Amino acid sequence: MKIVATVGFILALSLLPVGSFIAIGAAWAALVALSMAARIGPVRMVRASFVALPFAAAALPLLFTKDGDAIGTMDFGLFALTATWPGLIAVLTILFKSWVSVQAATMLIFTTRFHDLMHGFERLRLPRLMVAIISLMYRYLAVLTGESSRMMRARAARSAALPGAKRPSVRWQASVVGNMVGALFLRSYERSERVYVAMQARGYDGTMVRHEAPPLGLPGFAAIGSVAVALAAFELVAFLWLPRP
Amino acid sequence: MVTPPFLLHAPDGFFSTPVALAMWAATIAVLAISLRKAGEDLDERAVPLMGVMAAFIFAAQMFNFQIPGGTSGHLLGGVLAGVLLGPWAGTIVMACVVGVQGLVFQDGGLVSMGANIFNMGIVGTLGGFALYRIIAAALGGELKGRLPAAAIAAWVSVEAAAVLAAFQLALSDTTSLGAALVAMAGWHALIGIGEAVITVAALSFIAASRADLLEMRHMRPSRPRTALSGELP
Repeated sequence: MKIVATVGFILALSLLPVGSFIAIGAAWAALVALSMAARIGPVRMVRASFVALPFAAAALPLLFTKDGDAIGTMDFGLFALTATWPGLIAVLTILFKSWVSVQAATMLIFTTRFHDLMHGFERLRLPRLMVAIISLMYRYLAVLTGESSRMMRARAARSAALPGAKRPSVRWQASVVGNMVGALFLRSYERSERVYVAMQARGYDGTMVRHEAPPLGLPGFAAIGSVAVALAAFELVAFLWLPRP
Repeated sequence: MVTPPFLLHAPDGFFSTPVALAMWAATIAVLAISLRKAGEDLDERAVPLMGVMAAFIFAAQMFNFQIPGGTSGHLLGGVLAGVLLGPWAGTIVMACVVGVQGLVFQDGGLVSMGANIFNMGIVGTLGGFALYRIIAAALGGELKGRLPAAAIAAWVSVEAAAVLAAFQLALSDTTSLGAALVAMAGWHALIGIGEAVITVAALSFIAASRADLLEMRHMRPSRPRTALSGELP
């Protein structure tokens, strides 16, 4: 349910026309209200959303490539870059859209247990093999990232350098990382063998025991329907009536 | 500072809706084929093995090394997964990795996830593996040609993912094609070298310590030949 609502929300957001800042703002306000209701608060969501920012750099060139009224020109000697208003608006639209989308996804993760998320995906007809793989992956993620951070600490402990010493070459560093990856692979492989044997000892015969997710029922479908209607109305309003520069 | 490989994890909003949906359709189609193919030649051991391997790829991406210029590079792992697990299982594992990164850690959006899985998981693993097989065959078999083939395939897989992402961004009208190509392809040409060296080093490490695992994907089903089950009665 929540998965459908979140994806629908992001889809609606990405369909919005260029420059519809008011609509994006309204969507964000709705999200903040929801997060208050779920007692997460906007601060945690904003903090979690900063991971997406580095990608913003990819949108920046658009500032200079759209035709239109010039805001200003930067002279780099060899070539000059002219920033334009349509370019600026396009960049800002993309930035706000992705920022609000990230917060919507964060909201989904903060309010849903992983187990329920998996049930949701199963209901959305994600193949069972993938659901099983993802649940197992999630279970061993912390174990293996712990393993790899221990290996990195060991590398750092053995790699003291005199101040001013020449940095080892990238090639050498990369091959050290390669050996670490190889070692980690062997450890993971052997762990997966132990996991398999342990599963077998508990009666695993190739099929995962699943706790049947409760059926969605009428309230669930009603909720999805009302979300869809609300998003469609929102989209219509944004296209037809809200002013945009 | 920007960590360049993460440029491939596009957040929502950067691909226009038609591009994002088209990439989802392509991704779902390829994953469906992969699931069927992988189901054919893997037995019940596959679930724990692939689950732990997905976590392994994720953890291996944590190892980083310094690139001159203040940024750091790390492994993507598509070709490595393809060579170790076979192309179909490797593709599924990579798709799971990218999916969990987007879903749980916000490395990449939900609507744009189709494109992200396609670029990193499918092109990197299926395409990279196909290239690996072709080059290895040209060099006289997998035993002899393994390392150079893996090196070239690893570099090309990273570069191809970057170029594809650049085209998708340009199609979405997010950047102009020229700027995207220069920025993405230029950066990733460097990152690809790191990927190639790491993949080769990892493969030769594994070949030196447990060469039998490199034959893993040729293993026939229903042979529970684990280290531990041999000790158990």
